[in-house]
Amino acid sequence: MNATGHGALPRPPEGSASAHIPGTAAGRDDAVRKVASVRSAQRRRGAVVSAVLLLTLSAAFCLALAYGDIVVPLADVLAALAGGGDAGSHFIVVELRLPRAVTGLLVGVGFGLSGALFQALLRNPLASPDVIGISHGAGAAGVVASVLFGVSGLGLSAAALVGSMATAALIYALGRTKGTSGYRFVLVGIGVGAALLSVISFVLTSSKVTEAQNALVWLTGSLNGSSLGQMWPCLVGLTALLPLTWALARPMGALQLGDETATSVGVRVEPARFGLLACAAALAGVATAAAGPVAFVAFVSAPLARRLAPGHGAALLPSALVGGVLVLVADFTAQHLLWSSQFPVGVVTSLIGGPYLLWLLARANREGRGG
Amino acid sequence: MSAEHSLRTEQVRLGYDGRDIVHGLSVEIPPGAITMIVGPNACGKSTLLRSMARLLTPRSGQVLLNGKSVHSMPTKEVAATLGLLPQNPVAPEGITVSDLVGRGRYPHQGWFRHWTSEDDVAVADALSATDVLELAGRPVEALSGGQRQRVWIAMALAQRTDILLLDEPTTFLDVSHQLDVLDLLTDLNRERGATVVAVLHDLNLAARYADHLIAMKAGRVVAEGAPADIVTEDLITEVFGMECLVIPDPASHTPLIVPIGKHRAARSGTSS
Repeated sequence: MNATGHGALPRPPEGSASAHIPGTAAGRDDAVRKVASVRSAQRRRGAVVSAVLLLTLSAAFCLALAYGDIVVPLADVLAALAGGGDAGSHFIVVELRLPRAVTGLLVGVGFGLSGALFQALLRNPLASPDVIGISHGAGAAGVVASVLFGVSGLGLSAAALVGSMATAALIYALGRTKGTSGYRFVLVGIGVGAALLSVISFVLTSSKVTEAQNALVWLTGSLNGSSLGQMWPCLVGLTALLPLTWALARPMGALQLGDETATSVGVRVEPARFGLLACAAALAGVATAAAGPVAFVAFVSAPLARRLAPGHGAALLPSALVGGVLVLVADFTAQHLLWSSQFPVGVVTSLIGGPYLLWLLARANREGRGG
Repeated sequence: MSAEHSLRTEQVRLGYDGRDIVHGLSVEIPPGAITMIVGPNACGKSTLLRSMARLLTPRSGQVLLNGKSVHSMPTKEVAATLGLLPQNPVAPEGITVSDLVGRGRYPHQGWFRHWTSEDDVAVADALSATDVLELAGRPVEALSGGQRQRVWIAMALAQRTDILLLDEPTTFLDVSHQLDVLDLLTDLNRERGATVVAVLHDLNLAARYADHLIAMKAGRVVAEGAPADIVTEDLITEVFGMECLVIPDPASHTPLIVPIGKHRAARSGTSS
């Protein structure tokens, strides 16, 4: 059973530091070195992937600020951001384009992280807020608030956030059995989502055409109307939620091993998971509040990130960065690369996410896995 | 080195969904020994083990670790003393062996104490002991069933607890890997004085490797003690409802149970 040929278990360092069988010490050092090197190679890969994603994100962000009907050179963009530059480029970059770019970035980060949390905690690739009804909840609340009560701006954001949290709570309450089965959550979530979609349809069909059209654009997920007024709630929300999520995510590695193993290594499973799910729902709610339920960003970000950095567990940071890149690139495509400049960003993300969902379902079926 | 931790249950009543499986059971796990729990399917042996590992809260009674109830102690404090290998652990997609085993170090880490060289040492020792060091960088899903089981045991070992509970650790393994696992547990017990408690299906291996055997039926303990003292034909018939012969194991001189069954028995009348 023993690879190194010493028929006994190595002793822990405390107590007898010297190995009790001659020749064991060297073998043990080799083993420790091997473990440390595997570990650092993995960390390095993760760090490189995150660094590259961060660079890509910065590049996409700068491109969003520089490109448009009037192209602003990169140097002027940076100068304008730093508070300098001429008045014209300052107006274009800071006043016109910055809110949209910042909102897009934040929305992407929020959805990407939210999806990664849901998928990892419920151990199911289908469990993302846009599949299990959380986004539908935010959407339904938003539509009801805007169409029936004429709420807009900050009120709409608040309604969407409340909608997503309330939906998450409902799904949690209905899906929770003894221990939490991810599959059950997904099924309950899809059911709740379907019910909420009918609420949305009902409100839209009973409203005026212009109102319905505006609501539909928001429901597809759009950055077209992004202004400073929409950017600030999103910025504040994420500034609060990101450190909170980071703080609560410490038991994540253990939680991914299943409830029993997590308990046995000393995680209080229920409160730990509840806290993280609440953060994930709030992240989705804040992001939806700013740009509407941009389809599929939460769904595809984490799988993409995990493919880039395999073996990194939940890959929370890379998923958040992938989400940001996705939304910025999709919005750039929607604005400049398609025939109409009024395309909502959600149309483009759907074009990416739809086929992935089909592929995932086909693969899950073939392998006989529940996803 | 072998801290003498005591683990016992006091009149625990256990069950799922309204049905009681274990009715008011008190057992004491001898410290520094290997205890094996055997019994027919659904006799409550896994349930009892799960309650000791605080995965299941008793309906009444309590599980006491060093005299304190495990269900009211801080869970991390329990995790530093008592480890568990569950029956069907799940590995997240793409996780590597060293990463998985490293997660067993969770109870030794905290807000201000992240990964240290001591963790590397614990993981390296655990991987060497289970003979999976060479697989350290491989994804867990690429391993064979036997390798995977050893990786999970390595994770439990990396937790470095004085008490280790294992729920059917040899299921899915071929016979030589079953022996490997049981030899490993014996090493762990002899070298470090670890207290080992395992639920096992194979009666003969249990009788061979256990210092202390607990035979359960229908949520109650029928007999407990050293295998040589308690394993008799009558006991096996009572617990498993099966006729058998008990002869000395030629390899280990522990009791060897030879089931008789309905067909193919060559002799008759020898097992009165």
